[in-house]
Amino acid sequence: MIAERKRHRTTIPFDGRARAASVAAILLVTVAACTKESRTIGPEQPQTPPNGPADPRTRYFEGNAYQVSQGGRYFTWYGCGSCHGDNAAGTLDLAVDLRQRPLRFDQLYSAIARGHVHIGIDYGSKIPTEQLWQISAYVASLPRLKPERRHREDLDEAGEPRGVTWSGPVR
Amino acid sequence: MTDDVIAERARHDRLLAAWRDPQGLWGFLTTVDHKRIAARYVVTTMFLLFLAGMLALDMRLQLSAPDVHRMTPQLYDESFALHGSTMLFLVSVPVMEAMAIWLVPLMLGQRNLAFPRLAAFSYWLYLGGVLMLWVPHLLDVTPDLGWFEYPPLSGPAYSPGHRADVWAQMITFTEVAALAASVNIVATILKLRPPGMTLAKMPLFLWAMLVASLMTIFGLPAVMLATSMLISDRLVSTNFFSPAGGGDVLLFQHIWWFFGHPEVYIIFIPAVGFVSSIVETFSRRPIFGHAAMVLSMLAIGVLAFGLWVHHMFAVGLPRLGNDFYTAASLTIALPAGVQIFCWIATMVGGRPRLSVPMLWVVGFVVTFVIGGLSGVMTASAPLDLQLTDTYFVVAHFHYVLVGGAIFPLLGAFCYWFPKATGRLMSKRLGATAFVLIFGGFNIGFFPMHILGLWGMPRRIYTYGPEMGWGALNLLATVGAAISIAGGIVFVVDAWRSFRSGQPAGDDPWGGSTLEWASTSPPPPFNFDYTPAIDSLTPMWTGELVAYDGLGIDKRELLVTSVADAEPLYRQNSVGPSIWPLIASLGVAVLFVGSIFTPWAIVWGAIPVAIALTFWFWPTRDRATTGPFRKRSS
Amino acid sequence: MRSRPAIAATLALGGCSGAQTPLAPVADQAGSQYHLLLLMLWVCGVMYLLVIGFLIIGLWRARGRHAAAPPPLLEPADDRLRRLLAVWAAVVVIGLLVLAGGSFLVERSLALAQANESLRIRVTAHQYWWRIAYRDPASGRWVETANELHLPVARTARIELGSADVIHSFWVPNISGKMDVIPGRANAIDLTPRRLGWFRGQCAEFCGPQHAHMGFDVKVETSAAFDAWLAAQARPAAAPRDAEQARGMEVVTREQCAMCHTVRGTAAIGRNGPDLTHIGSRHSIAAGTLTMTRAHLQGWIAQPQAIKPGTMMPTVTLSPADANAAAAYLESLK
Repeated sequence: MIAERKRHRTTIPFDGRARAASVAAILLVTVAACTKESRTIGPEQPQTPPNGPADPRTRYFEGNAYQVSQGGRYFTWYGCGSCHGDNAAGTLDLAVDLRQRPLRFDQLYSAIARGHVHIGIDYGSKIPTEQLWQISAYVASLPRLKPERRHREDLDEAGEPRGVTWSGPVR
Repeated sequence: MTDDVIAERARHDRLLAAWRDPQGLWGFLTTVDHKRIAARYVVTTMFLLFLAGMLALDMRLQLSAPDVHRMTPQLYDESFALHGSTMLFLVSVPVMEAMAIWLVPLMLGQRNLAFPRLAAFSYWLYLGGVLMLWVPHLLDVTPDLGWFEYPPLSGPAYSPGHRADVWAQMITFTEVAALAASVNIVATILKLRPPGMTLAKMPLFLWAMLVASLMTIFGLPAVMLATSMLISDRLVSTNFFSPAGGGDVLLFQHIWWFFGHPEVYIIFIPAVGFVSSIVETFSRRPIFGHAAMVLSMLAIGVLAFGLWVHHMFAVGLPRLGNDFYTAASLTIALPAGVQIFCWIATMVGGRPRLSVPMLWVVGFVVTFVIGGLSGVMTASAPLDLQLTDTYFVVAHFHYVLVGGAIFPLLGAFCYWFPKATGRLMSKRLGATAFVLIFGGFNIGFFPMHILGLWGMPRRIYTYGPEMGWGALNLLATVGAAISIAGGIVFVVDAWRSFRSGQPAGDDPWGGSTLEWASTSPPPPFNFDYTPAIDSLTPMWTGELVAYDGLGIDKRELLVTSVADAEPLYRQNSVGPSIWPLIASLGVAVLFVGSIFTPWAIVWGAIPVAIALTFWFWPTRDRATTGPFRKRSS
Repeated sequence: MRSRPAIAATLALGGCSGAQTPLAPVADQAGSQYHLLLLMLWVCGVMYLLVIGFLIIGLWRARGRHAAAPPPLLEPADDRLRRLLAVWAAVVVIGLLVLAGGSFLVERSLALAQANESLRIRVTAHQYWWRIAYRDPASGRWVETANELHLPVARTARIELGSADVIHSFWVPNISGKMDVIPGRANAIDLTPRRLGWFRGQCAEFCGPQHAHMGFDVKVETSAAFDAWLAAQARPAAAPRDAEQARGMEVVTREQCAMCHTVRGTAAIGRNGPDLTHIGSRHSIAAGTLTMTRAHLQGWIAQPQAIKPGTMMPTVTLSPADANAAAAYLESLK
């Protein structure tokens, strides 16, 4: 008895032209590279605030994993978590608040930079512009994130400095 | 033509009809011919070797002078991560598997491997691993944390996005492929040997492949575990490696290196097989110390699993533990030293000839022993605290991997090229390539020992002029460029010989093992009759006895007993099948999807289950045993 | 440490400064590691020569053979070679035992740290700098500095290592081997320097894009000098002495710098970045990346991402006058 099934005899040639066409198709796909994961590190970060809702830099920052992650780190460093952290309630709980009242990126930026004056801190002049962009990107991502994802990132960052009251690394 | 010759021809044609692949694309996608699958593997790995070499050249150019800012640190990090991951997961282990897939049935006088479709499946999954790493690279989602991405750097907080997941799943692909190939090889070597090939009469190459495959089966699940735990930490908030969550950063390192150390011996031991075959043939005598060689291989195979902590001497583990692993790591130098002695003793006690494959063996001895000795130095825990994570250890592992695996591989390529293609390679170009690659490699990597002792750490994209490392780095770059030139000569030689080299004949070197009994290249079914053997060097000990009785109009393999190779029964072997490709597509979808959501494991399992059901649907009867006897002529 | 002239010669040949190498040991730890290295080089060197010698004999047998393959030798007389194998195996075993013994002895000597002298230093590794804290003997408080470690000669210092983020590795090759700095793990390393001088350490475990620029300076000085240094570090920041420095103090302590940096005695109490209270007294800045000069300070403040792309210090937009002033002020903080 011969091996299990009779093979359907096709003779599709896989010659030079077919090979070239498939390589070209693959290359075309790859040219449309996505910027979601790109890492621009270096002096090309923005040095001016967003100039309105149509600022083209906004889309890049909102979607970019690296910028969002850096923003999360500075969020911890500057002690934002002391008011907006896990125990936040009401409008201080940013994820809930932004889901109910969504803000555009430039509005979020303004809220961070100028909206804390009532507690006596002018973040707009205290935090460098490029970090404000990153923090805004991070905050903008909060409504979309599952809380457990923020939590696991926070756990990994447990040893990071947190504002002025840091007690040291995790040993 | 006599009646005999006509009858032989007719028999040959009937075998051909039973064993031939369908034409065109369909044949390409469904073949289970181990030689075609191995050829694919070799071509793919050689292409990746070239890509990894280009990455290396790029890095060397970056480092050839202080304060070079041509490459951004991000690009440099991606380069060394890709280079290391490609070389270790996509080139070194797969190419050794490929050589095994190609050679094992030939050296056993068999018509195919034990599990032909599994071999095809292992290639397609390996190709999936290649695409898993390189397609994201083209999409700028390149892994950038090295070839062993330690958490917490690769954890959810410090490696945002999917770069680390891409790397981890590439490993899953290649490890399942390696497991598939290894199971195949072990089963073939243990159960499909020719009559008379007891374990005592089994050539060293087959011992090497057996030991390496068994090591793969024991070691690779650990790396799948480590990378899956990492993905799980990143995706579903398990806290395996997160100290604040109750986990342990070192757990990753332990599980990783439990695989990682045997991995390098999995790469080295097949090279032991290559060298043994080449030295035996070109010294015109059986390898000296056959028992010592086999025992050394087994010792290395076992010991390799007890050394892994030597990659972790600097993490602060208890000192007594460090001492134990120092002792174990030093011990493994003994079987390796015995093997080196046996090969050279074979030359000294034989009639050696410096063909191109032997040149590579000489290059191997000169280079690998340096690597082994620098390994002895790093085996000592207190000294390793100065040497680890510097260019000294970069030099060490390149010496053992390039000297101990790539040089024998190139020698094996030259040695078996005539059998695979029917043509001889050029002696002049072969020797030129050897001199350039060997010379370039040593000029390139020897200075790195010194750079490590001058304080240069690993994985730095640049360094300051005041460190004084510039001159040696420049020398290293020059050496790397020379050896790449040699690589180009090698490829040109291979291509030209393939197209228009001198015809080789069946046995151009006068080899001792069974693959030389077939034609060059062998027909799809490898051998017209089943050879039987009675010595370690069957081609040298007079007439080869042949058995007749395996089916001619259908695919059959002869199954023999494990220890004494007594014929047991004939097995119906499988013909071309599309199911390995479809199953591997299903598995690929499952693996890629599970980077994004854990539900991919559930939903992705369904197409895989369907494909496997079709694959394993029983359609073959047991083979009817019939007369199996010696051929009279 | 006795073959120093030879080593110094080799180092000089390569233009190597000798400040970051295990080949110029200045401490007990590095010294015993260096002797072990020499033992290894001798034993391994001899073994290699034996192997190559044997190989040359084999190659000698191959001379003149380029023609077709002679008939195979099926029953070769191997008695001498068998005896030689036994001898070789014995030689290898003895060599390995010697190396194992040497290794154990050195390991024991490294473990027997004389940490009865209670100089405890806390080093916290960050991406990409080193936070170094000493206990001030006078007040008992922890005094922080960054990227520069001072050690008194002939005393054992115990460095307690902690990581704020990922795995790093603390390595001063002239003084000791490396010890990884692992989050969640309380590693420590003992250093017993015996010679005065400036040395350099560097992070030795890949920790991100700027792993290459995470070095630190180590100064070994007399006990008196060390005590004086520590006392000076414990004092608050010097007051500005002219108008430019005063403007610089305004910029540094009341604007963006203060969110991350501390200048003790001023309003700047940020803990995220290195302590700047006595930055003017340091040997280098940006974790060993630039030497401490006014120009380098200014360049670093103006364009940290250009010098160390990917560092956690952002580009701060300052007018040229303010940048000048800030550099002047920081340079004055000795």
